[in-house]
Amino acid sequence: MKIKTLSRPVDEYTRERSQDLQVVFHNFDPSLRPMEKAVEYKRALTAAKLEKIFARPFVGAMDGHRDGVSCMAKNPNYLKGIFSASMDGDIRLWDISSRRTVCQFPGHQGAVRGLTVSTDGNVLVSCGTDCTVRLWKVPRPTLEDSSVSSENFIEPAAEYVWKNAFWAVDHQFEGELFATAGAQLEIWNHNRASPVQSFQWGTDSVISVRFNPGEPDILATSASDRSITIYDLRMSSAARRIIMMTKTNSIAWNPMEPMNLTAANEDGSCYSFDGRKMDEAKCVHKDHVSAVMDIDFSPTGREFVTGSYDRSVRIFPYNGGHSREIYHTKRMQRVFCVKYSCDATYVLSGSDDTNLRLWKAKASEQLGVILPREQKKHEYNEAVKNRYKHLPEVKRIVRHRHLPKPIYKALGIIRTVNDSKRRKEDRRRAHSAPGTIVTKPLRQRRIIKEVE
Amino acid sequence: MVGEKRRSTSKNLAKNKKRKGPHLPNSILKTIANEKRPLNSDEEDDEIDSDDANVDLYEYEEGVPEEESRKNNRYDPVVNYDYELPEDFEDENVESDDDDEGGNSDNEEGEGDVVRHTRMLQAVTGMPSAAFDGESKRKPVLFTEAYPESEFNPTRDVLEGKGLLTIDDFMAPIEGKPGFNDLQKRISRMQKDTQAVVHAPLPKPERERLERKAVKGLVDKEFNKWVHMVKRNREAPTVYFNQNVSLGYSTVGAIASEFQPRTDFEKKMASVLNDNELGEAHDEDGAKLLELNEVSVEDHIKYRDHIAKMRSLLFRHELKSKRIKKIKSKTYHRLKGKDLKKSAMGALMDPEMAKEEAMKQEARRVEERMTLKHKNTGKWAKRMISRGLNVKYDGTRAAISEQLQINATLSRKMNSTNDGSSSDESDDEEELNDGSDQDTPSKLIAKAREKTLKTVEDDEVPNSGLLSLPFMARAMKKKNEEAIEEAKRALEEYEEWENSGGEENSKKTADVSGRRVFGATAKVEAPKESRKDSDNFYDNSDSDNDMEGIENNDLRAVRDTASPVRNTGAITETEKFDDDIENPASKTTFDVALFASGSWKKMKGCQNAETKKKTKKHVPYSKSQDKKESRDEESEDSESEAEQMVDGILTSASKETYEIPSQAELIQRAFAGDDVVDEFEKEKQEVLNQEVPEPEKPVLVPGWGQWTNIQKKRGLPSWMVREHEDAKKKRTLDLKTRKDARLRHVIISEKVDKKAEKLHTTTLPFPYTSKEVFEHSMRMPIGPEFNPATIVGSLNRPEVVKKAGVIIKPLKFEEANPNEKVDDEHPRSNQKQNPKKGGKTGKGQRKGKSKQKTKA
Repeated sequence: MKIKTLSRPVDEYTRERSQDLQVVFHNFDPSLRPMEKAVEYKRALTAAKLEKIFARPFVGAMDGHRDGVSCMAKNPNYLKGIFSASMDGDIRLWDISSRRTVCQFPGHQGAVRGLTVSTDGNVLVSCGTDCTVRLWKVPRPTLEDSSVSSENFIEPAAEYVWKNAFWAVDHQFEGELFATAGAQLEIWNHNRASPVQSFQWGTDSVISVRFNPGEPDILATSASDRSITIYDLRMSSAARRIIMMTKTNSIAWNPMEPMNLTAANEDGSCYSFDGRKMDEAKCVHKDHVSAVMDIDFSPTGREFVTGSYDRSVRIFPYNGGHSREIYHTKRMQRVFCVKYSCDATYVLSGSDDTNLRLWKAKASEQLGVILPREQKKHEYNEAVKNRYKHLPEVKRIVRHRHLPKPIYKALGIIRTVNDSKRRKEDRRRAHSAPGTIVTKPLRQRRIIKEVE
Repeated sequence: MVGEKRRSTSKNLAKNKKRKGPHLPNSILKTIANEKRPLNSDEEDDEIDSDDANVDLYEYEEGVPEEESRKNNRYDPVVNYDYELPEDFEDENVESDDDDEGGNSDNEEGEGDVVRHTRMLQAVTGMPSAAFDGESKRKPVLFTEAYPESEFNPTRDVLEGKGLLTIDDFMAPIEGKPGFNDLQKRISRMQKDTQAVVHAPLPKPERERLERKAVKGLVDKEFNKWVHMVKRNREAPTVYFNQNVSLGYSTVGAIASEFQPRTDFEKKMASVLNDNELGEAHDEDGAKLLELNEVSVEDHIKYRDHIAKMRSLLFRHELKSKRIKKIKSKTYHRLKGKDLKKSAMGALMDPEMAKEEAMKQEARRVEERMTLKHKNTGKWAKRMISRGLNVKYDGTRAAISEQLQINATLSRKMNSTNDGSSSDESDDEEELNDGSDQDTPSKLIAKAREKTLKTVEDDEVPNSGLLSLPFMARAMKKKNEEAIEEAKRALEEYEEWENSGGEENSKKTADVSGRRVFGATAKVEAPKESRKDSDNFYDNSDSDNDMEGIENNDLRAVRDTASPVRNTGAITETEKFDDDIENPASKTTFDVALFASGSWKKMKGCQNAETKKKTKKHVPYSKSQDKKESRDEESEDSESEAEQMVDGILTSASKETYEIPSQAELIQRAFAGDDVVDEFEKEKQEVLNQEVPEPEKPVLVPGWGQWTNIQKKRGLPSWMVREHEDAKKKRTLDLKTRKDARLRHVIISEKVDKKAEKLHTTTLPFPYTSKEVFEHSMRMPIGPEFNPATIVGSLNRPEVVKKAGVIIKPLKFEEANPNEKVDDEHPRSNQKQNPKKGGKTGKGQRKGKSKQKTKA
């Protein structure tokens, strides 16, 4: 006969070292824990509240320009470096961790409108309203960058004068080419004094250009004739063009989904397009109350950041209609440029008040080294919050954001206008023969046509 | 020179034309010329033909074209100047100068010059004049154009599509040269082949549109190749961006293995470390050193013993201290035990002691009861409790609970002693109630009687449940009566011993119990059917006279067995019934009620005051019962035999109705007491009132809002009344619109629980398509308390795993791998493996990375 005894080997519950965690035995039978769901709900609520408590997104401001910051460029090869240029022709390289200027690139006579860095991080390209394109050699980051306060100046490596003023510039991903936007789209090589290719479709000037990070030979531009155009450099021809109701100020390609791009529009919305099917936006991202000036995708491809003329920075999910986050401070003026840092942890904004601002991409994220247990706790909190996010209490807390008064009021006005429009539309439809009034879906409403 | 000459000759020709005859329009001239020229004619023929044509047309020529003639100002003169430059042109050439200067006279002589020139040539070369004639007579027509020639202003020839150079023009000079025929053949073949004809290019916008169309297709193709990767990324529950961190080395060993000595010192060290001889020497030396370190056995044993001694000493010391502790407590217990023994054992053994002890106990109890010393009535305890310090401090709480404990023990003892006395008392009371003044009977007999009585009482018919149904009750009764019989006999014996003195008393008791006993005895003796008759009969016979008569007539045994015991039994039964009556909710059966009524009749003689109360209470029980009672009362009033007879008949009738009760009736009787429907309606009304409360009646507060006299005159202000009416109307409307308004047997609560509302969503959230799926998504908990540690990580993993400080590169293309699709079906497990794979070595990490992302 076998006798079963309760046994508890010592090895099972003793620690090998004093630093080890105490082993705790659980019985996971759900019948023993009837309140688990209630407990988790409560935890979700607490997590939501804690998130609000710890939401301190503003990390710091970088002060130094003497005019509004017009554009920025991130160094794709070096996390701490960020370039910014202002309306008075001043270009600076900042060290993000110490939030100080590392060096300056003097030379431009007018406003610098475009700034970009080659993928290897060695060449900085700038262009502006003084009709010049300047190439600069980026100083190699050294350890004493942050400690040395003396600002050093750097001479341009090359300076190309061209026929027209420039509005934007962007560098090819892993290539030698860069594109400038001005009266027309021009493709340059690092080593040539004049553009190697030039595109013109229509007579209006091109205001923004962005290379596709996945497909290095494809680029998108937006022009002041309210158009968005996709070009292919290999065929040296345009591929697609749509005309919208309002101008597109900036374009960003999704780095993880090379066929998708998002356009920051003058009407305060962003439109995500599939590059293969431009007659309908895939998603309309609404929330800004004024023109969206700049847009940049997170390197994860799951989010993008926008800066708007309404003095706020917002972060949108790539497939969500409304923003996840809004950042604003009392002193931040019109935002002209935004960038998502290369590790998807920070967001940078440059505004009219001559400052660059550094924000956390996730407002309540804990910075610094996080121990594995902490990490697990954070993950659990996030998961639990995510699970119960639809329940009213949690939803209310998670969604709540304090808005500046002008934005709040503007939102109210926009809502009223939209409501009345909808009401009118409904009435019109109700009083006309069925089928005579066809309403376009929102995703097509602002697109006029696709040009062949 | 020759060119110039030609020009001059042509000019001359033009001048000649001017002079001679009318001019045809140029276009007509051209067409004529072309028509005359056959397509495939030889060079010679062509020349001749053209010559002929020119000659033929010569006479009909109009002269100068209109625009050249400047007869009218239809044409822009300025442009003409430009292209009539040769006229004003001062040539360096003398000959031409002469020509120009010659003007009209020269023109006349021009032909003569030509003839002369040919003649001269003829003379020089010796060739026939025809050959030169052709050359000289080939007069190419030169048209000056109004605009500069460009793609926007094509010449006439171009516009008309004629006058172009043909292949024949090119072929002419090489005719007769070797290979000419071959070339001509090829050309003719080419001309026949119409497909090779190159058409004019499309206009630019059209061309660009087509180009874009093609590019569009290509770009789409480019984008489409990413689809599988994008899809995979989107569908993955977690995307990892922290994998591609490569530090070069993963372990210290890996770093050390690739170490190369560079400096002199390092090299020296390396040479020493790698020297075999040195190593061997060290090994030997090391062994020696170990030998030197050897410990002797004696030393070791000594050391061990020492430790053992110390340990045993320690152990003994511990034991000693323990024992001391133990002894201490033992003495205490011994002393305590002694005391206990004294009290407990003594009480058991010695009656005297017991009495004493009991007295002591009693005294203590009394004291406790009077002072309530241990019920926390003390000043300190009260203070502690009022300030809530007993909750706060453990010591206080313990002290207070100890006090209560003492109180409890004391009171318990009190109860145990009380029990006997109280039962005695109750017995006495019962006896008193009986009205039997018994002469202090011996205690033993009393006890015995008591016990038998108890058993009799215990055998009482249950009042409710299955056993209360009539047939069950009957069976039970039968059994009971048997038992009672036995008990009775025992009681008789007791009585004999007792030798009760009061004859009257005994008689009285017999009288009282007579009926009861009779019923029982009758049942024992008579057949079952008769039992009921008798029962009923006695039920109806109320008056004492009757009773006595019956007793005298029928049964002697009644008197014999008449005993206070029976009496008391009956009385306890009635008492029980009284209890039942007082509790309206309890269900009592018909039989029992009958029985009760019988007993009540017995009692009536003694306690008249109670009768009315009882009848009132009996009313709701059953109609038959009611009837009987009313009859009883009647009989009571009249006390006539005739009525008794009537009663008898009536009872017989009632007996029949009782014998054939239908099932429904039975149930009705069984549940006679509780009116479920009424109760439910009341409940519903309550619920309605709670959920839709009735509006409050307007209250007129004297002096508020108006003077009291005016208030009295006018009564309630009209708005108040209106408001009240509105509220009432609203309430009725609400009641009508309720879901259970028409359902009589249902209450549907429409109360909304605000606290529960928090846990519900108003609508189904977006990604979910059904309620079940949404609820299912929250079913299983994900916390570490509710799940094993092995799966908590994967349950809580966020959608994007990234690491601060790691640069995330854009997506790189990788071909769709058919083998990988299998992994995709179990994405979770796949991802669980991946981090492990990445974490092991640098090489593995790179491998994992390439598998994930960068397989180009």
